[in-house]
Amino acid sequence: MSATPLLELRGIDKSFGPVQVLRDVAFAAYPGEVTALVGDNGAGKSTLVKCISGIYPTDAGQFVFDGRPVNIHSPRDAAALGIEVVYQDLALCDNLDIVQNMFLGREKRSGIVLDEPTMEQMAADTLAGLSVRTVKSLRQLVSSLSGGQRQTVAIAKAVLWNSKLVILDEPTAALGVAQTAQVLELVRRLADNGLAVVLISHNMNDVFAVSDRIAALYLGQMVAQVKTTDITHAQVVELITAGRSGGLGLTGEPATNGNGAAPAGSTTGGVS
Amino acid sequence: MRVGPSQDEIRRQNLGALLRYVHVHGATTRAELTTALGLNRSTIGALTADLAAAGLVTEGAPKETGRAGRPSLVVRPESDRVFAYAYSIEVDRLRAARVGLGGAVLDRRELDRPRGLTAAEAAPLLAGAVKEMRQAMPEDAVCVGAGVAVCGMVRRDDGLVRLGPTTGWVDEPIGTALGTELGVDVPVTVGNVADVAAFAEHARGAAAGCDNVIYLYGDVGVGAGIIAAGRRLTGHGGYSGEVGHMVVVRDGARCECGNRGCWETEIGEHGLLRAAGRSDARGREAMLAVFDAADRGDAQAQIAVRQAGDWLGFGVANLVNIFNPEMVIFGGTMRDLYLAAAAQVRSRLNSNGLPACLEHVRLRTPKLGEDAPLVGAAELAFDRLLADPLDVN
Repeated sequence: MSATPLLELRGIDKSFGPVQVLRDVAFAAYPGEVTALVGDNGAGKSTLVKCISGIYPTDAGQFVFDGRPVNIHSPRDAAALGIEVVYQDLALCDNLDIVQNMFLGREKRSGIVLDEPTMEQMAADTLAGLSVRTVKSLRQLVSSLSGGQRQTVAIAKAVLWNSKLVILDEPTAALGVAQTAQVLELVRRLADNGLAVVLISHNMNDVFAVSDRIAALYLGQMVAQVKTTDITHAQVVELITAGRSGGLGLTGEPATNGNGAAPAGSTTGGVS
Repeated sequence: MRVGPSQDEIRRQNLGALLRYVHVHGATTRAELTTALGLNRSTIGALTADLAAAGLVTEGAPKETGRAGRPSLVVRPESDRVFAYAYSIEVDRLRAARVGLGGAVLDRRELDRPRGLTAAEAAPLLAGAVKEMRQAMPEDAVCVGAGVAVCGMVRRDDGLVRLGPTTGWVDEPIGTALGTELGVDVPVTVGNVADVAAFAEHARGAAAGCDNVIYLYGDVGVGAGIIAAGRRLTGHGGYSGEVGHMVVVRDGARCECGNRGCWETEIGEHGLLRAAGRSDARGREAMLAVFDAADRGDAQAQIAVRQAGDWLGFGVANLVNIFNPEMVIFGGTMRDLYLAAAAQVRSRLNSNGLPACLEHVRLRTPKLGEDAPLVGAAELAFDRLLADPLDVN
């Protein structure tokens, strides 16, 4: 779709005391595409996401958003740019209904009272835009929803604010087969609607089912970012576990990391 | 010798184009129509007036736009009034619906279908459902046609179902049977379920705007609806797209069509259940149970799903190399198989597909879901209306 990334990171370093968690990481997310971020436990996926969303400051590196260099110092900065994160625990309030959850902390007002009709309409439009048919009433309490429906609400909440980049942390973990399928279709639809989507997942099926690109982290280094049409399951597993696979991934000594891995977009050109 | 199309033909063409636009895109302002169709304002005005007089569209004031200037009138399809009957004859069930102009399902009925029911037996059941719906519909409603989606090979000329291996139908005149049974003076168009679902997804679903699409539809067997260069590929007699019967294994498992080693013996219901060691089970529920068992860690189910996924990728790679589509859609049970085994499907496709053909191919699941056969069957019926809007009534 687009050859220019919406978000591009270059040379990101991040340490916690003596432990270097991210080393010279390059990463790019494109509008209209799902970029899967894969890696073993402790490879640095969550840290990278927290750097993008402004929770952790980075030690070094550049952020380029929509072609402009930006600084993200806090979650507020990230939200202002249109970056939303859906965490694994979803951060929904069980005792509130769907609309209340979607507008939590950002309620619309008319005068001094809450503008319920507008909020309800916006929530309904957002869900309809995502072709969500599983939710019966918007005034249902979140506690009455299934896991898949909760995930749907959390994702819809992220989309509601004209966000441009949505990051999903393991959205299908702990879901059954049918609900996983629905959430995967939703993830795909977000990107087809023009958003840049970053999907963190351990499940190779999910990654191959919806992603356009796969970015693999190995021990804090970005070892490859390739198009999903150019790689096989076995190669991704090798990248995750060994940091290299054939011509892909780490070359030479891991200690000398001059440029990190270049984002694949710069070498492979056009995108499906 | 004729030099060009006559005035009348041009007008008919324009009427069809305008009606098709609001049929696919919903309510549209005259201003947008002017830009989209490349006709001038007065032509659009005259065409809309003709269509409104025929009762196919209405014109109304738009919502407040908040912008300066006189707002452009909005043209809406008469979705509640103008409709087509849509039927879907599936392996395990029969469905009937009323679908309004614009593609909305207005009313629907669903019946179980015992395996082995003939066309002559199925028609009265569907007619019964139609009678029920007729009682509930508004008095001024106008039926413009009927469309049928059926699993089987359909002769294009008269809608004769030549062979439905999974339904057990041989030379069943379902179109004629339904026409007589309904007693309505409207044409009945019959299409293969995969073709029809592809048509629907192309018109208003996942493949909107894509001109080269392969829609794989799976139930017991597997078929494809192929759209090439924006048109449905029907073949000479209307039978094309039987991709489930590509032979992929020499002397493989016996297929219901009589051959051995057809693609659907590996990726269809029987293949998956056989590999999972559940040969005595049947039906979609049984397939879903295998995916569920695989997800929960049943080793044999996992092997079966991976194998079927690998075979799915194998066939898709061949199709992608032959047709160079921009999108492959997995519908019916193929949706579930694709989502459960995407890693295998993709890996096999990526290794077997030619790089140039793979470059722009997108793998998707249907947007219309279960409704695709009904919406598509209605599209078949609407197609005649859209070709010549003023002639049908």
